[in-house]
Amino acid sequence: MESPMPRRLVRFLLAAYPRAYRDRYGAEMAAVLDERMASWRDLVDLARGALDARLDPQIEPPRVLAAAAAAPAAQPAPRAAALPARASYGVVADGPPIRELSRRTFMRRVLAAGVALLSLEFIGGTLAFTWPQVRSGLGGKFRLGTAADIVAIQPSWAAGWPYPYTSARLFLINVPAAKELALGHQASVPNPTADQLLALWRKCPHLGCQVPQLCDALKRFTCNCHQSTYNILGEKLKSGPASRGMDRFAVSIGNDDVIVVDSGRVTAGAPNLGPDHLTFSDPYPWDAACR
Amino acid sequence: MPDDPRTSELGRFAEPALLVLVSLAGGPKHGYAIMTDVESFGATSIGPGTLYAVLARLERRGLIEPLGPQDRRRPYRLTMDGAAALEVQLREMGRFVRAAQARQPGAAT
Repeated sequence: MESPMPRRLVRFLLAAYPRAYRDRYGAEMAAVLDERMASWRDLVDLARGALDARLDPQIEPPRVLAAAAAAPAAQPAPRAAALPARASYGVVADGPPIRELSRRTFMRRVLAAGVALLSLEFIGGTLAFTWPQVRSGLGGKFRLGTAADIVAIQPSWAAGWPYPYTSARLFLINVPAAKELALGHQASVPNPTADQLLALWRKCPHLGCQVPQLCDALKRFTCNCHQSTYNILGEKLKSGPASRGMDRFAVSIGNDDVIVVDSGRVTAGAPNLGPDHLTFSDPYPWDAACR
Repeated sequence: MPDDPRTSELGRFAEPALLVLVSLAGGPKHGYAIMTDVESFGATSIGPGTLYAVLARLERRGLIEPLGPQDRRRPYRLTMDGAAALEVQLREMGRFVRAAQARQPGAAT
């Protein structure tokens, strides 16, 4: 018996047997295996036996064991003596026996649960990463309310003042009224149509600073960072380093008259080509900036 | 041999079951002793998984019964039913062997 089969391997294969089977035959089988040389043939045979036991567990009712325990030949070896005491496999149908959890089993289960949790987390993270990115926030759709709602919040919007909508970082421009405002006229357009609306992204196309509200003097936007200046429709004027006008989000008006801005659909502002290429000119010089 | 309900439907375990019954006919033995015994009298061997699959089946059919455990080992012995089933099987096999031998060339002379 130079090299008996490693006990761990034996235990591993015995663990593949159903519990009732293990309770009944496990100790004997371990004893047999301890007396045999390690061999692959035995391993394969045990694996087939375990499969067979799972498919068709041929477990004897406990009466035989009880009789065996009562037999005079019985020498109470620790493990064998434990067998009749937990001969509950005969009444498995009444419900699984409640057994104490060994430290090893407990640690094993904790480890297994941890690994499973980590795997789930990894798989979940991978799946979530492939999901469409934005559900809310910038990139999603924003319902700003009806024109009447906006006028109620900010009455000057009907007169052309941009309506700042903070959560989408945009100015909603009431185009006809805004033009009048920039020209210095009094106007009231309380109910503009969808194509009369402009949603200007307040992110300056130069370096991304937030563009502040119109300045009172010129009715132009001037970015505080580098003085890039835009007219009231967000078109780039001479002052400042930005190479194009402010970017625009798609605007629509739903059936319920609610103004909807899709911040996922962005149109880049028109390139900076000089005063002749503006769609709207206010009365101030092209190179004037707010101070 | 297929007619005996006690040993029918053993499937791939029919042959090792017969070997185990024969081994136990020589006296009660525990698992490892059965294996070495089968290797000594048969021209074959039984693996531990097969052995206990067979023992479980034979025990359930009441052909063998376990005795009290000795240390970790547990000897098994043939029951009356088991002895009867073995006898039936051996008789059938003997009939088969004689019938086969009668067909050998030169057997008639």
